[in-house]
Amino acid sequence: MKKMTKHLTLLLVLCIVLAGCAAKSNPPASSASQSPGADSGATTQPAAASSTLTVAFSEGGTTLDPAEASDLTSDTFVIAAYDQLVTYGVKTVDGADVANTDEIKPMLAESWSVSDDNLTYTFKLRSGVKFQSGNPVTADSVVYTLDRVKNSKSGSFLYGMADIKTVTAKDASTVEIALNKPNHMFMQIIALYNFSIVDDVAMKGKNADYLKTNTAGSGPFAVEKWDPASEAVLTANADYWQGAPKLSKVTLKFTKEASNRVLLLDKGDVDMAIEIPAKDVASLQANSALSVKSNASNRILFLALNNKVKPFDNVKVRQAIAYTIPYDQLINDVMHGQAKQMKSAVASNTPGYTDKGYTYEHNLDKAKQLLEEAGYGNGFSFDLTLGSGFQDWEDDAVLIQAELAKVGVTMNINKVARAQFLEMQKKKNLTAYISKWTSFVNDPGYHLGFLMYGKGSSNYNNYSNAEVDKLWEQASQEPNADARKQLYEKAQEIITTEAPWSYLYEYNRIVGMSAKLSGYVYYPDEIIRFYPLSKN
Amino acid sequence: MTVMSTASSPGQQKSAPKPARFLRLLLRNRLAAIGLGFIVLWTIAAIVAPWIAPYNPYVPDMAAKLQPPGGAHMLGTDNFGRDILSRVLYGARISIWTGLIAVSISFVIGVPLGGIAAYYRGRTETIIMRLLDVLLSFPSLVLSMAIAASIGAGLFSAMIAVGVVGIPEFGRLMYGQTISLREKEYVEASRSIGVKDRVILLRHILPNALAPLLVQATLGMGFAILTASSLSFLGLGVKPPTAEWGAMIAEGREYIISGEWWLVTFPGLSIATAILGFNLLGDGLRDVMDPRLRSGK
Repeated sequence: MKKMTKHLTLLLVLCIVLAGCAAKSNPPASSASQSPGADSGATTQPAAASSTLTVAFSEGGTTLDPAEASDLTSDTFVIAAYDQLVTYGVKTVDGADVANTDEIKPMLAESWSVSDDNLTYTFKLRSGVKFQSGNPVTADSVVYTLDRVKNSKSGSFLYGMADIKTVTAKDASTVEIALNKPNHMFMQIIALYNFSIVDDVAMKGKNADYLKTNTAGSGPFAVEKWDPASEAVLTANADYWQGAPKLSKVTLKFTKEASNRVLLLDKGDVDMAIEIPAKDVASLQANSALSVKSNASNRILFLALNNKVKPFDNVKVRQAIAYTIPYDQLINDVMHGQAKQMKSAVASNTPGYTDKGYTYEHNLDKAKQLLEEAGYGNGFSFDLTLGSGFQDWEDDAVLIQAELAKVGVTMNINKVARAQFLEMQKKKNLTAYISKWTSFVNDPGYHLGFLMYGKGSSNYNNYSNAEVDKLWEQASQEPNADARKQLYEKAQEIITTEAPWSYLYEYNRIVGMSAKLSGYVYYPDEIIRFYPLSKN
Repeated sequence: MTVMSTASSPGQQKSAPKPARFLRLLLRNRLAAIGLGFIVLWTIAAIVAPWIAPYNPYVPDMAAKLQPPGGAHMLGTDNFGRDILSRVLYGARISIWTGLIAVSISFVIGVPLGGIAAYYRGRTETIIMRLLDVLLSFPSLVLSMAIAASIGAGLFSAMIAVGVVGIPEFGRLMYGQTISLREKEYVEASRSIGVKDRVILLRHILPNALAPLLVQATLGMGFAILTASSLSFLGLGVKPPTAEWGAMIAEGREYIISGEWWLVTFPGLSIATAILGFNLLGDGLRDVMDPRLRSGK
């Protein structure tokens, strides 16, 4: 009897030990419980009323403030709750509706005129448009909004890039914006979500942080609930000036784990999911209840080499690295074909793109030869700093590391948390890093100005070429589109030849949705517009 | 059994079970034997990994990616075509090393702290024990994450983080032992003839407190392996492409839903068996070393 008790006790201990192991060795369970979206997904039956939409998002967002938003989820709230003066057109590419950022269409401004010297823009506001509070949208609202952007932390950079000198309300529905110098990107910048028009009357007496957690816009949806840890609920603005949205309610479920989002979508627990891993596209496409859109985007991925740090100050070493990248493996094995080879610092669907100067391929002999010419025949070793959060980056790094080893170069992969990486990057002293970039204004001037211009604010790898700088400055003042294009092409050719980055790939933007949804339009800023969506 | 003196007697070393007898007692406990078996297996695997691993665990082979277990790759391959068996074997080296070093850190720092606190009492005791309480008040994984994140991700920092987290366990255990041992006649006697405190602590108190500390060290190995794997899973441990069990699970978890279960299952089983081994052995050791439990049979 005693023996049996002992055995039973031991069995119990064993169970407890095993249970203990299971509970502790299973961090995904705890991380999933942070985003109850995953668990409560089961209770979200495929919407009873056909006009409600449930979307699985990866991140919960950080702010509702249009001037400060800078992550995809926050941007999505802003676009849903606010309108801008002007917006982008839509075109059809390969059967899919895609935003055309070259074409500017009226939104809150019904028309505008430009002075002959390209320095003064006069906007005429649409009459009768009201904010969700009931206050009218006036010229003062525009003046107030632009002043907020100017003094914001995040949006002020764009304000500077737009070269805005003054903003004046001529009368209740006319606004005049004067520029410091002609800027061909002005209209595209003013259409960005950071320049969403804010209800100045409703803001009276509110403190500066009010918009962080509240909205004051004229947009098609109101943010009814926002809990970054679980979900957000948007409700339709029935009085929207373009007509009430077809969806009465949109629920955003914040689900960090990509595999959970895929499961939710596959089982029909959500109508739509973003940030779907490339490897799951094929299996989701086999599900007839779903429609998986995989569009070429202008999101690029590159391996940046610090041009001021030895040995990457030597152009031959940088070129040698570009010849060791296993391009086909990255695209086929890591990205499962849901990406495209990148051949310029500018994305291939950006107007003005050219692959001139691109001669790179996976060629280890050539790489070896370049290294020898540069005096590194015996190889060298360097640190790659890798921000966490993107599995494909890590996979890329491991494959590149293996190829580099074949030419005698040792690459140590230093993994750091994403937030830490962003801080480190700003110091401009990382030897090498992998990073993505999406230019919201699909223009080489905007793109290169951030990344390749000597003084560019995101030129974290210290690329500096006097000729490129001169070409960029010249182009940004050049009113003629063709002449501008030529200047940008020349700049791209020099950059590609000098290889400050090894180009990895251009992402496809993958969005999976229920086949019942229609009206989806792909925008280069990757923000989903809920207004045109409908469900039948 | 009554001939066995209690652990608190000064002559404990003499009457402690001799190695052979000790091992026999230990192996009589079937679960402890199983635990020891796991540990011996993993230790051997760790030592001979470079000779028995069928493939290089670090070299990608895209032509062979995601192959199921069986055939040329007994446990299948991961998304880079690397052999999972080889990676699991190499992972054993890292896990066991991490466990050993982390437990050594906890032991070497925690035991003197606990001993000093209990021996001197007074303000020293208050300061040391409250410090240990502070360490103990954080959930261990959270604390180790904070430490690992602040000194930078890497295998070495994971070892330190896990080691620091284990300090209070050893400190408190040694504290409790010393509190009772310092009142013993033989300690009093030593003190009265002017033996130095350091000598009393090292020669008279530590050997008599060793049994529970060894049990704790064994259990601590399991805990250290688990915490280190958790850190790697969360991206705060080893750097890629290092084969580490927790990191392997993290890399493979995206493949569970697409049906490639072997990427996470084998490293998961490795963690489970290694920890189970140390926990079972620790429990067995406690039974053997504590005469009261033994005589109760």
